[in-house]
Amino acid sequence: MPAPPPDRDPPPGDDTDLERLLALVARGDQDAFETLYDRLSGPAYGLVRKVLRDPAQSEEVTQEVMLEVWRAAARFDPARGSATTWALTIAHRRAVDRVRSETAATGREQRSAPFPFPVDDVAETVEANIDAEQVRRCLDGLTELQREAITLAYYGGYSYPQVAKKLEVALGTVKTRIRDGLMRLGNCLGMSR
Amino acid sequence: MRLFSRRVHELSGAYALDALDQAERERFERHLRRCPGCAEDVRQMTSTATALALAVAAEPPPGLKQRVLAAAATTPQLPPLPSAAAGRRRGRHVTRSAWFPRLALGVAAAGVAAAVALAVVTVSTQDRLNTVQSQNQALAAVLAAPDAQIATGRSSTGGSATVVLSYAEQKMIFTSSGLPQLPNAKVYELWLLSTGSAVPAGLLPEAADGKTAPVLASGLTSADKVGVTVEPAGGTSAPTTTPILVMTLPD
Repeated sequence: MPAPPPDRDPPPGDDTDLERLLALVARGDQDAFETLYDRLSGPAYGLVRKVLRDPAQSEEVTQEVMLEVWRAAARFDPARGSATTWALTIAHRRAVDRVRSETAATGREQRSAPFPFPVDDVAETVEANIDAEQVRRCLDGLTELQREAITLAYYGGYSYPQVAKKLEVALGTVKTRIRDGLMRLGNCLGMSR
Repeated sequence: MRLFSRRVHELSGAYALDALDQAERERFERHLRRCPGCAEDVRQMTSTATALALAVAAEPPPGLKQRVLAAAATTPQLPPLPSAAAGRRRGRHVTRSAWFPRLALGVAAAGVAAAVALAVVTVSTQDRLNTVQSQNQALAAVLAAPDAQIATGRSSTGGSATVVLSYAEQKMIFTSSGLPQLPNAKVYELWLLSTGSAVPAGLLPEAADGKTAPVLASGLTSADKVGVTVEPAGGTSAPTTTPILVMTLPD
């Protein structure tokens, strides 16, 4: 019989615990889902709200996201990233879909994001989260164009052609700046291996 | 060809940030399946994006948790995705035929549920098929229960619903036909009603050919009616609109 796991908090960023929960959720375990909710709903809600800005819509979309996590738990594939990444990818995509369909429906391009996107905005939400400070520092280490392209795309929900238009640079430039910027950010955060 | 792949490859960052439109996203995903190097790039950039997400974590609204847990309790889960690699090895689609004979058997055993079978065979997307497959055994259990009963009702907005229920199983299968299509931001929500209480019993899936795939609801103990309301996408914990349909369940 395998020894029970040691009774301590996993180090931050360690997702083995979440993956175990997700495996239980995939079998319909509602208690495991409650624990999973406690762990993932804050990041999911924060992200959705960052993109959508409107609290009521953000709540609605977060509910959809958490239900999708429940529904699709059996489809989580650890080869493609951690459990947190999987859940937050669902959250981001839903938020972006909502923003884009809304923008298309109302035909309005000005969705309120002031430009240039204030980078200060990034860190203010959760002072307590130590990651936030590190992310902010690493964002500051990018070139201005890399940083603006990444924050507009990820936090603003803009497609890269929209980002190109806003920043008044060529499409190809935006593509490469986002890519280079993300790699540099990953290095700075100690994520590349 | 080389130029094409390199150009596609440059999209990996934008893909990781969901900054592609639908068509480009799909094209890139096709490319990903053939390009292990790109998949590794995307994996790294997606976890970097996760750090951007974690940096803006915020306290979710207090009522959300109960709503999500209640909705999850009545939302069927998807089976694992047959992996693309496994599908290729076997050179065929994996799930299409497996569930059908068993379902047919369940329906025949109950002998009451032509409407259910009809709704089941009209669903078409792979997702739905998989959902149906995962529900299959539970559906069959209700349909085959010795005390299975069937009831139908009409909606005030047009269309009708059919329910098969078993008090022994404490479960009910709900299907609908011809309900008006709703705008994207709305959904039909099912409720188990008893005096003074409405318990959420699941969301109706999108209709195919006007029919919704069966929704399985548990916890049928005290309810004596079933109702349907129109709610915001994702559903709510308590009805916010007048039901378009209320059916009294047989004793």
